[in-house]
Amino acid sequence: MIGWQFILITLVKILAVISGVLTLTTLLTWAERKVSALMQDRIGPNRAGIMGVTAFGVFHAIADAVKLIMKEDFIPGRANRIIFTLAPVLALVPVLTIFAVIPFGNYIRIGTMNVNLQIANMQLGIFFLFAISSLGIYGTFLGGWASRNNFSLLGGLRGAAQMISYEVTLGLTLVGILMIYGSGSLQEMVVKQGQMLWGFIPAWGVVYQFPAFILFMVAAIAENKRTPFDLPEGESEIIGYFLEYSGMRFAMFMFSEFAEIVLIASIATTLFLGGWQIPFLLNDGFHLPGDIMVKLPHFLVAMLQVASFSIKVIFMCWFLLLVRWTLPRFRFDQLMGLCWKGILPLALLNIFITGVIMLIFGEKL
Amino acid sequence: MIGIKKIKQRNLTFLEKIYLIEIVKGMLVTVTHFFRNLIDITRVPTIRYPEEHLRLEGAARCRTQHRLKMRPDGKPKCVACFMCATACPAYCIYIEAGEYADDPIEKYPVKFNIDLSRCVFCGMCVEACPEDAIIMDTEIIPGGAYARETLMLTKGDLLKNLPGGEYSSRKGATQRLWIELLDKSGIKR
Repeated sequence: MIGWQFILITLVKILAVISGVLTLTTLLTWAERKVSALMQDRIGPNRAGIMGVTAFGVFHAIADAVKLIMKEDFIPGRANRIIFTLAPVLALVPVLTIFAVIPFGNYIRIGTMNVNLQIANMQLGIFFLFAISSLGIYGTFLGGWASRNNFSLLGGLRGAAQMISYEVTLGLTLVGILMIYGSGSLQEMVVKQGQMLWGFIPAWGVVYQFPAFILFMVAAIAENKRTPFDLPEGESEIIGYFLEYSGMRFAMFMFSEFAEIVLIASIATTLFLGGWQIPFLLNDGFHLPGDIMVKLPHFLVAMLQVASFSIKVIFMCWFLLLVRWTLPRFRFDQLMGLCWKGILPLALLNIFITGVIMLIFGEKL
Repeated sequence: MIGIKKIKQRNLTFLEKIYLIEIVKGMLVTVTHFFRNLIDITRVPTIRYPEEHLRLEGAARCRTQHRLKMRPDGKPKCVACFMCATACPAYCIYIEAGEYADDPIEKYPVKFNIDLSRCVFCGMCVEACPEDAIIMDTEIIPGGAYARETLMLTKGDLLKNLPGGEYSSRKGATQRLWIELLDKSGIKR
């Protein structure tokens, strides 16, 4: 099975996913400023331009990159140089790794081969996701510790406490989904979400597990360390764990934060919003209720599904920006209280109720 | 005796304690603003400053870039008495006095420089001037500059400045008279 074609195709897929994710992440750094500006009745970035073309300030992302590369790369004298250098990498790598199990399309037929539009179709993809995402804590904590700055250390401690707490709940919120679709493979879960409930409601995770969707979003935003829960960093008032970082090292922390937005959007799309599924679109075309059928070529269907996934991800990214710029920050005790007294019991309750319903009505899928 | 007023805090209802509905309410506000501004960005009150200017209401009291007034014959009203340079707290006015060959009494400024990079726009020079020669009514707000030299106003610049300024909407009778005067005096605009 593992021939040169497999390796080549996998490399092409990795290239496509990484470039897509990084492009979206770069655009998000601009979109965050623009979306927040529009929400607050401002204009937002509009100055940076190439040859007089500003394109609503998209080039600010490039200007930022240039600025950050030009900046002094400063390492504090008492810092642990190796770990200090390693921490931003440890923050970014797990986030990018998880994209390996995200299915961004069904499959595409090249010659006689069916190429699965997912880098690695693991049977236990969802556990891979949990395992790798918990590694993200190391970037935060080691970054704060290696700076040899008490404020950084406190920020790192807050980050570690928050992320470990929410890691637990994040896992538990997804157990209900795991029970319903009965598979650990994300691709299989998405395939099962293509079914119809009573013939017209798409069997997306958000339909079956709406409470879990809300709990997941809360836990995911906390895991991402963004505004309602941005205590490890607190860019406006509190001093955070990457206090001593500058230049591209700082940029990597920021970049991992934005890549994590894309990641959360992708996971939410995959598990709750039907992934690449479009309602009524099967492999050979649209099957509308009432026996209406629109035949489409396979390639077009595959592309439509990839586009559907991308649009859902972009929508979720926008939604996350919206949450970030709407809600005020929680206090740290409120944050922990919400996790251990709010989301955790509710997630357990959700698992219990899902189990009871599945026991009574039998396996729905 | 200070009266004490106890404000009774309303207890949160159950729905408010859940917080979710309140979040949705808050998000509705921001989403409304987002789409309203996405459709029509001109509703945003921001102006693109160096390109766009706001009309300055009450310009009589507003201190903007200086100008030197002229007499009907095109000579500066200034008599180089150094009152403004003395009054200036930022020491930004530099004057060199000269004498008219045909006038044994009055002096005139050979040089009259104002360093805008040091000027604090306090208006002391206007207050100090006995001849009412320097005045700050051009409605030009000096912004940044790429070189210090461009912020150094010379006598020519000050005489060329118009009342009401380049961006002013008050361009009326005064300004027409001023332009005529400039043309008569032979100072290039």
